[in-house]
Amino acid sequence: MLATITRLFENDYDEDGFRTCSVTGLNIHRSAEVHVKLFGLTAVIAMIVGGLFAFSVAMTRWEVVGLIGEFEGYYRHLSMHAWNLLIFWMVFMEIAVLYVGGPIVLGRRLPLTKVAKAGWGIMVAGALAVNYFIWTLSGGSDAPLLTAYVPLDVPLGFYGGAILFLLGATVAALPFLVSIIQQKREDWNGTLPLVAFGAFVTFVIAVQAILGGIAAFSYAFIWQAGIIDTINAGIYRQLYWIIGHGSQQINLLAMITVWYFLTHVVGGAVVASEKVSRTAFIMYLFFINLGAAHHLMVDPGLSAGWRIFNTSYAFYGAAFASMIHAFAIPAGLEAGRRQRGLGGGLFGWLTSAPWKNPIFASTIFSIILFGFLGGITGVLMGQMQLNMTWHNTYATVGHFHATVALGTTLAFMGLVFFVIKTMFQRNFISDRLALLVPYGYAAAMGLASLLMVYIGILYGVPRRTSQVVSNIIGSEFSLSAAEPLFLILGPMTLLAIIVGAVFVLVAVGSLLGGSRTTESDAQALLPQGGLVPDGGSDSVHAVEMRGTFTLCLVFMAAFVTLYVLNWFLLTQLWSIGA
Amino acid sequence: MTSPLDPPDGNWWDRAVNRRETIWLGIAGAWSLGIFAWMSGFTRFGDQNPIGETYDVEPEAYAATVDTYEENAETTSTAAIEESRAPTEEERQDVLVPPSKSVYVFPRRFSWGGLPVVLEAGTEYDIHLSSADVQHGFSVRPEESLSQQINLQVFPGTEWVVPMSFDEPGTYQVICNEFCGQGHASMHGTFYVVDPAEYETVTGE
Repeated sequence: MLATITRLFENDYDEDGFRTCSVTGLNIHRSAEVHVKLFGLTAVIAMIVGGLFAFSVAMTRWEVVGLIGEFEGYYRHLSMHAWNLLIFWMVFMEIAVLYVGGPIVLGRRLPLTKVAKAGWGIMVAGALAVNYFIWTLSGGSDAPLLTAYVPLDVPLGFYGGAILFLLGATVAALPFLVSIIQQKREDWNGTLPLVAFGAFVTFVIAVQAILGGIAAFSYAFIWQAGIIDTINAGIYRQLYWIIGHGSQQINLLAMITVWYFLTHVVGGAVVASEKVSRTAFIMYLFFINLGAAHHLMVDPGLSAGWRIFNTSYAFYGAAFASMIHAFAIPAGLEAGRRQRGLGGGLFGWLTSAPWKNPIFASTIFSIILFGFLGGITGVLMGQMQLNMTWHNTYATVGHFHATVALGTTLAFMGLVFFVIKTMFQRNFISDRLALLVPYGYAAAMGLASLLMVYIGILYGVPRRTSQVVSNIIGSEFSLSAAEPLFLILGPMTLLAIIVGAVFVLVAVGSLLGGSRTTESDAQALLPQGGLVPDGGSDSVHAVEMRGTFTLCLVFMAAFVTLYVLNWFLLTQLWSIGA
Repeated sequence: MTSPLDPPDGNWWDRAVNRRETIWLGIAGAWSLGIFAWMSGFTRFGDQNPIGETYDVEPEAYAATVDTYEENAETTSTAAIEESRAPTEEERQDVLVPPSKSVYVFPRRFSWGGLPVVLEAGTEYDIHLSSADVQHGFSVRPEESLSQQINLQVFPGTEWVVPMSFDEPGTYQVICNEFCGQGHASMHGTFYVVDPAEYETVTGE
């Protein structure tokens, strides 16, 4: 067993420890590759744990099944599900993305490998502690869920574990920063490749988020330890959401960086405009973390002006940036494929794309579904007044399943497949099963997310509860009108979990039992004409982008329609507010 | 060929941008500013805004205020409201009739203090929200129209006064939508909103 695991970390390197990737042409150093594998594999383990609890959570919310009662530990299961998937699966993957975006793209060693290992160790210890304190919760204490809102009686050790994990993530991110510094020292006037630039902005956003998280959990920690007597619920919420939503902004940036990377490598995308894409990243840097304030839209004690400025990411500076990427990434694909002669008509570049490659399919579904479902719902619920109708309903759960569980998870599944092929150099145990993953997951999780939004907005079903749809204990009132929709939602969540299990089966199975890839397997991943075809020109701007433009107009039409519908629904309410 | 894995060549900043991409930047930028302006403007001309005065208040002090409020309040009964008649003396107990336009809501695990209460349709009330213990979620909807629902966060230590005027008579159901501990799912309360013509009758005034 140990030998099998050790073999996973081996590849043929030259005497300096470098090898040339036969797919990307990147010059990869052993130190960077080994650590990408380490963090990536750990992420998949967190995903398996979180996925197991997805089953118990989904089968409880489907009240016909009603797997775990409120007093039988449902909230513990929900906490395990949230922390392992929203935090551990994501953050371990993000460190791997940083190491790809930094040292690997730049063709460097990973500096400070001991620090990287120490960071990994601290993160693992923190993650284990969080899991332990959630799972061993005794009768008198409260489950933390994702947020651990004070003054709930959440165990001290839980806050300690969370702080430890975040410290570990900071430590693990340091070698990335050092690699960027080394690069700039050697070539001060040089421009970083776009993927490395995106990874760098991701790093800055991550540090902001993590510092907020350490502040929040430390505040709760010293209160639970009895060092301070009282704690302010509103201040904790403000601090908490710096990490609570900030962590998801790390996901967003890491995912967009992965989009640029994978559409290029397996789809043949180019960069439509360096200036425009980099400007969008810079806008994220300044504005995206302000958007975390949309969790406080219906909190007391915050002025309307503060809420409106922050929740709008400062006049929607970050939403604008996302819409820039929404054009730039498909446009890069369109331009790259048209330049290769693969794009007839309006959408020929898209229909001729490698849809049978699970890496490509994962990436494209991630882009489309994140934008249409996650992006639009995020802006809607982030409007101060609309937030009254979204806050803490099942619709918010739908929103973050559309973003994280659907969009980001699909992109990261694609990346894991890519890493299996190129870094672990293993073929899939079954190409057919691998291809089932993006299609099955996108369909099931897409529909599930949509239904959650629908159930939340139109039936007012709350999140974080085990039973209110069929029966509210002690009341004749219930939300049972929503029951028929759960008859579709329940099976869809189950299907998504099954496809998630297939992903794990393919990933782990291929690592342990997949045949070694050959040169021709590697070539098969590349777009027609290879990664850098002959005769490409520099004048990307002159290539037709009308297919992308059409898609973006469809997106805008959907956005405007849903915006108007949501506001119409709001104005049907009784009058509220000064 | 420009690759996201390679440093761009030369003066990439001054390179031309595709015409359609430029148009999209205009559309997306205008939309971003437009939805900002609408959200901001709606606080001036709209009728649904989660805005109200807030005060720091210790849970004990708020509890004392609520006690005084409840002592001064008359009571009526669910049966009287549902049957649009005056309550009998024996019935008068389960529904509060607020003595003024201030209505106090005081959630604690796992019940809504101050509820049920009977209100007059079309009259503006100041709804006071503060918690006795942990955070709660004040989630309200008319019984017969589930899509018309709103949600406000309730803190201990903070009193939020949100004016509301229920235009339509009906039974408005309140549940807790912020996790507040085991038992959270059973937390519910009611606003009875009655037609002004019937208000005096059902409250027995």
